[in-house]
Amino acid sequence: MDWLTFLNPERLWVLLIVPLLIAGYIFLVLMKKKTGMRFTNTAILGQVVPKQSQWRRHLAVALSIAALVALSLAWARPNGIEMQPRERATVVLVLDTSLSMQATDVKPTRLDAAKDAALTFIKALPAQYNLSVVSLSGNPSVRLPPSTDRVQAQQAIRSLKLQESTAVGESLYTALSALQMAPKGTDSSPAPGAIVLLSDGQNTAGRSPAQAANEARKQSVPVYTIAYGTENGHVDLDGKRERVPPDKALLAGISSATGGQTYTAENLDQLDRVYNNIRSEVGQTPVKKETTALWAGYGLAFAVVAALAAVSLGARWP
Amino acid sequence: MAPQPAFTPPPENLGAVASVLAEPKTATIPLHQLAPEAALRRLELTVVRRLEGFLHGDHQGLLPGPGSEANDARAYVPGQDDVRKIDWAVTARTTIPYVRDTIADRELEIWALLDVTPSMNWGTEGVTKRDLGIAAIATIGFLSQKMGDRFGGLVMRPDQIKRFPAMSGRTALYGLLRRLLTEPIVSDHTTGPFSLAAGIQRMARTERRRGMRMIVSDFLTPGDFELDPNVEPEWERPIRQLAVRNQVLAVEVVDRHEVEFADVGELLIRDPETDFLRYVNTSDDAARERMDAATAAQRERIRIALRRAGAAHIQLRTDRDWVHDIARFVLAYRRTASMLHQPPAGVAR
Repeated sequence: MDWLTFLNPERLWVLLIVPLLIAGYIFLVLMKKKTGMRFTNTAILGQVVPKQSQWRRHLAVALSIAALVALSLAWARPNGIEMQPRERATVVLVLDTSLSMQATDVKPTRLDAAKDAALTFIKALPAQYNLSVVSLSGNPSVRLPPSTDRVQAQQAIRSLKLQESTAVGESLYTALSALQMAPKGTDSSPAPGAIVLLSDGQNTAGRSPAQAANEARKQSVPVYTIAYGTENGHVDLDGKRERVPPDKALLAGISSATGGQTYTAENLDQLDRVYNNIRSEVGQTPVKKETTALWAGYGLAFAVVAALAAVSLGARWP
Repeated sequence: MAPQPAFTPPPENLGAVASVLAEPKTATIPLHQLAPEAALRRLELTVVRRLEGFLHGDHQGLLPGPGSEANDARAYVPGQDDVRKIDWAVTARTTIPYVRDTIADRELEIWALLDVTPSMNWGTEGVTKRDLGIAAIATIGFLSQKMGDRFGGLVMRPDQIKRFPAMSGRTALYGLLRRLLTEPIVSDHTTGPFSLAAGIQRMARTERRRGMRMIVSDFLTPGDFELDPNVEPEWERPIRQLAVRNQVLAVEVVDRHEVEFADVGELLIRDPETDFLRYVNTSDDAARERMDAATAAQRERIRIALRRAGAAHIQLRTDRDWVHDIARFVLAYRRTASMLHQPPAGVAR
């Protein structure tokens, strides 16, 4: 059972009493039939004396056993799944970790500058929004699923390492799939979100960025791009100096195709437009929670009704 | 403050009361307490119907033969009739020799049908209804110990009828009573073909000789809740058929708490014969009154049905002295028997 787990499952052994009690009750009922008083003139008796219904007796016993079952389950500390309201709006932060980001034309390096910008952005991001972190390299991956935990986000950003090649289009697909991981809503509509892409351009692998941008536009997810680097940026790879100018045209194309904006490292203070434009939407997310009180409440309800039935059996009301 | 009454433990021997909880295992009365033989010697059970038999007895027979009672006078047949039998008074008036016949004196044959269905294994006083029935058989048996009288017994169990052949004499009667008392108790819910009606029919078929028939039962039919006396109980017709040739004595055995429904709180009541099982609040005054009224009507219906069938009716109760009741019945019976046992038209007395 997925929806019902127990913190102390060994206490469930106490439920073995229940079939014993039921068997004992049936045995007593059958025995009672043998121990009834004999009387000869029952044909007249059956016509004259009203029949006393027995359902209250059985109801009291059945409810007592139901109360016992519920309380036993409560004792075993069950975990139920509870739906909690959660903000769905998600910002996906895509950070370029390709080798070209180690160019030092932006101080100290492009990557460190991008990380700083990302951390600043996180601090400014309103706390209720979910944040997801995706690393951009030849093999883009979701480093942090959508979450409101900013400390984890900071750790995820700080732990990013340089990796081979750059697949901008592929990373946008990954970012879109990260958006899918946002808390589910009441219907299957995609969560409102935005993608912030910090990169120096230079698509070298995977599907084309234009295709990815098209997909993002279809899902109406704006992509905000921030280009890093200068025209004469270079990296030394295997003793060879390679020029790595940022492909500002590519990034601008992506952002304009999806309804986003292009920024440079200089006007980062306008980045708040990213989240200002995201509409807020509340979804629900399943949360595992101990539901002992709920089961104890069921047990109490059963016990109260059983007690009422028993009282109505025994008491002669005035 | 009045002193509290000291606790008295229940008596060791509860008598038949245990039969309310479970079927009894043995008879609840010993053989020597069934009937005071000596005290009954001066009573005589009136026999009004004429008897068939083959021995010389003390009761009026049906056919002519050597006896004390005078019958018709008929013409003297020389060589065939005894001269000493000539009725001189008739001969003088008619100038033709006449002889006076006598009616043979015959012995009485009594057959007692004892109902031992599970509902008879019940009693809240000293004895169970079955044992009271045996005591009634004993009492009637000692009342009919004239010369040559035979007494036989039929025990009607639901599954079979046991027949104890009719024999004469005190010793044979004691033997019959002992066998009735030691007869195994029928366990509850025993099923079989024999109801009271079937038992009476069996007795009418197997015992053909005219005599007295005694039916000992509670006359309760399982599942029959009819109270209207105009509706015949199923055993009425067999009794009426039996009464055509026989003098029928119906002994109705009743327990006190069948007539007066006890107030003992709420309890589960089951029937020893049917599958009736029900919780009944016996402390309900209105229900108890209804029950008593219905039982009275039921007993009245039994009384009327027995009277209609032409049987003498004795009601015995387990809480009363049956010898006293039977003695009173016998005294009154001397006057009423000839009216009670009128044969139907076309049948000899």
